[in-house]
Amino acid sequence: MTLETSSALNDAWEAGSEDVVYALAASPQFDRDGICFAGRASGLYRSANGGASWQPAYATLNLSDDLSTSAVVVSPGFASDRAVFAGVTGAILRSHDAGATWFLSLLPSPPPVVSCLVASPDYERDGVLFAGTMEDGVFRSSDRGERWVRWNFGLLDLHVLALALSPDFAQDETLFAAVESGIFRSTNGGRAWREVPFPEDLAPVISLAISPDFKRDGLLLAGTEAHGLYVSRDRGRAWAALGEGLLGEAVNAILLAPDFPQTPTILAVTSDGLSLSVDGGSTWSELAADVPPDEAVVAVSAPRGLHPGAPLLLGLSNGGVIRTGAGRQ
Amino acid sequence: MSSRYQKPPEEPELTPSVVFQPSSARGMQRGVNILVNVLRPTLGPHHGVVAIDRVVPGGTPEMLDSGGVIVRRFLQLPDRDADMGAMFVRHMVWRQHEREGDGTVTLAVLFQSIFNQGVTYLAAGGNAMQFRRQLDIGARTILAELAKQARPVEGQEALTRVAESVCFEPSLARLLGEIFDIIGEYGRLEIREGRGLEPDREYVEGIYWDGGLLSRAMMAPMEKTAPMPGARPTDKTVLRAEAENAAILLTNLDIQDPEDLAPVLQAAMDAGHKALVVVARNLSDAAMALLMLNRNPEKLWIFAVKSPGPGSDDEADGLTDMAHLTGATPILGDAKQTLRDVTPAHFGRVRLAWANHEYFGIIGGGGDPKALRRHISELRAAFLRIDAADERKKLRARIGKLMGGTATLWVGGFTPADIEFNKELAERAGDAVRGALLEGVVPGGGVALLNCQPAVKRLLKQAPTADARAAFRILHRALEAPTRVLLENSGWDPSEVMAQVQHAPAGYGFDVVAGKVTDLAAAGVLDPATVLSRAVSSAVTSAGLALTTDVLVHKRKPVQELNT
Repeated sequence: MTLETSSALNDAWEAGSEDVVYALAASPQFDRDGICFAGRASGLYRSANGGASWQPAYATLNLSDDLSTSAVVVSPGFASDRAVFAGVTGAILRSHDAGATWFLSLLPSPPPVVSCLVASPDYERDGVLFAGTMEDGVFRSSDRGERWVRWNFGLLDLHVLALALSPDFAQDETLFAAVESGIFRSTNGGRAWREVPFPEDLAPVISLAISPDFKRDGLLLAGTEAHGLYVSRDRGRAWAALGEGLLGEAVNAILLAPDFPQTPTILAVTSDGLSLSVDGGSTWSELAADVPPDEAVVAVSAPRGLHPGAPLLLGLSNGGVIRTGAGRQ
Repeated sequence: MSSRYQKPPEEPELTPSVVFQPSSARGMQRGVNILVNVLRPTLGPHHGVVAIDRVVPGGTPEMLDSGGVIVRRFLQLPDRDADMGAMFVRHMVWRQHEREGDGTVTLAVLFQSIFNQGVTYLAAGGNAMQFRRQLDIGARTILAELAKQARPVEGQEALTRVAESVCFEPSLARLLGEIFDIIGEYGRLEIREGRGLEPDREYVEGIYWDGGLLSRAMMAPMEKTAPMPGARPTDKTVLRAEAENAAILLTNLDIQDPEDLAPVLQAAMDAGHKALVVVARNLSDAAMALLMLNRNPEKLWIFAVKSPGPGSDDEADGLTDMAHLTGATPILGDAKQTLRDVTPAHFGRVRLAWANHEYFGIIGGGGDPKALRRHISELRAAFLRIDAADERKKLRARIGKLMGGTATLWVGGFTPADIEFNKELAERAGDAVRGALLEGVVPGGGVALLNCQPAVKRLLKQAPTADARAAFRILHRALEAPTRVLLENSGWDPSEVMAQVQHAPAGYGFDVVAGKVTDLAAAGVLDPATVLSRAVSSAVTSAGLALTTDVLVHKRKPVQELNT
């Protein structure tokens, strides 16, 4: 299978600049409003036309220096609340007008480096957000990002590289944290953490994906830094390799089709490129995208799912973002 | 002038004596029944209270409802044979209290039933040793049946129910449910005297040890932004020292010569550290003066704290744990190391270190997380392997610290005695919840034991000898004893209710609070599996031992230290 690159959207990025895309996020109504965000070492960028052009999102802050933005998340209720959250060192920025103006919420000192941001699937009702940090564990906000509290009881490894929330979070309060030494699970909304029996020698885990049907299938995917992709079908108790020998060693990001497992499509961003499985991970095919030589895909967003023709935003290690569309097999 | 203290009565000069069967068994039986009958009214939610005279004459008696505490207060009986039986029960119950925090009266009642029935059987000519072996076989079957019934317990609601099954105080149980849902089975829980009548809780982030700053001059007033040990919930400011992204040096040396610290400071500055925490057994005034002199927020911010104590074992354990957390390599006097050996590689790293005059704490250590998890895993394995209560407590405390946070439960009351009682109750309920988290829960109200009866009945049908038949029959009957006592204490007719329960589906029992036969597990009436298993195991083993005791030997004087 190949990806048909509909447009290479590197114009906004200076060629040869020493930048990197850390995170991408798109509006849930991307096909209608075309709004998406890219968190880069040089700051947060916003596009209102599906990635065709990009503008600095922090313009109203009149910053004298770049504000490296390592994480970004868009509210699940973006259509009505226009809320966007951006993780920077020592703070979370929040906007309630789709990135035009920003408010600052400081995190407790010493300033943590935010590695990931996630919003509760039930955010519109509960207002819960989580921020993973590189050295300080997990911070939780239950007031739509205004105040953040560190909740690390039982989190024996504070180097958090990814977070994944159960789609049924409002009921089961379950979330997983990928860390340097493996994976931790919380079943009480992030107030306490327990070890997941992920094999220690396979860690660090750098990406996570949770099945949209987690309540029934208990499926969780873990991408490691050096040992490929792993799957658990029992909520993290037992693990098995997925696509062994077929995928790159480092799995930077994993996406599942929104209606997984009915549509058993998995996209993995690995050290070798993009790989797609349409059978739940049994077989994989490489996807060709217009990634410049010597550059790697380091972030991905699939605002309209993984069906053929749906747009994919790919963040590159040179700071560029390309928009592609899935082709036909 | 008359004293309120009376002169103790003259102790009789008792002669040594030896008591043989059948007097020995009858004598022990008298004592067993006296002490167990004292405990029986305290079983269940509608329990009675035992009033015990204070050791010092005068004042109100102590009103107790905890089996463990009652046996602790129980004094010697004048009948020396009976006293041996009572002290035997006392020791057995106290061990259960120390280890599990609950199940003491269930244990006592089970033991009493087996022992009394056993005495009767052996008096009729049974073989004591054979009988004891068969009791052990029966116990193994019961334990296996209990294990089959055990279900993991998870979530605040379920943990609250377990706590309530011990303390029968909804507000306390609710807080304990929340606390253990957060801190887990090994978590650190400090129970302290609160100001209000209602219990309250707070959570302290990070890890801390006893042993604060070596000099108060290193403290400064700071705004209290989060709960912290040594501070009241209402405190706005606290006196403490803090250092961010600090290097940490661990040593058990008593540093007398300031010169010894020079290589440490040099190594820290060479490595580019801006803050340094020194953990040492002691610092002389001169050594402290050197640190204060070199303490500069722009160049190197320093504070020094006492190594964890009080004993050398605690110190070694504390330094080992700190080393795993921070990645430091301790400098140990026992290994003939000195501070002159310090290189930058000896330093560990912490995101935030703090100390006040009592405690030293770390939030975010720079140690290898994989090594830390392995270390904790080893401590957990040791905890599960070791039987000695003191060792287990120490290990649990170490694991709890390393889990990264502490819950403080504030317990109040009308009087100091009331507060002590509530603290003890909270501790007991907390221990039971820990047990439930470790090994799961079984249906409460005695139902889990009743559920074991069919398995014992199967053993009975296949029993090859008279001793085996007697042992299994006795165990079968004993399994009903806790339920009967529970019903008696709640004012129900045991015979009538037991008949209803026997015709109810498996897992059903009588909820003495609701006053009806129901699925007790579904109704949330739960017991920690580990508490019940240990009670069964201890009751059968102890009964076997007591029943094979043929001779009592009394020394010239009764043992004084039992009067505690």
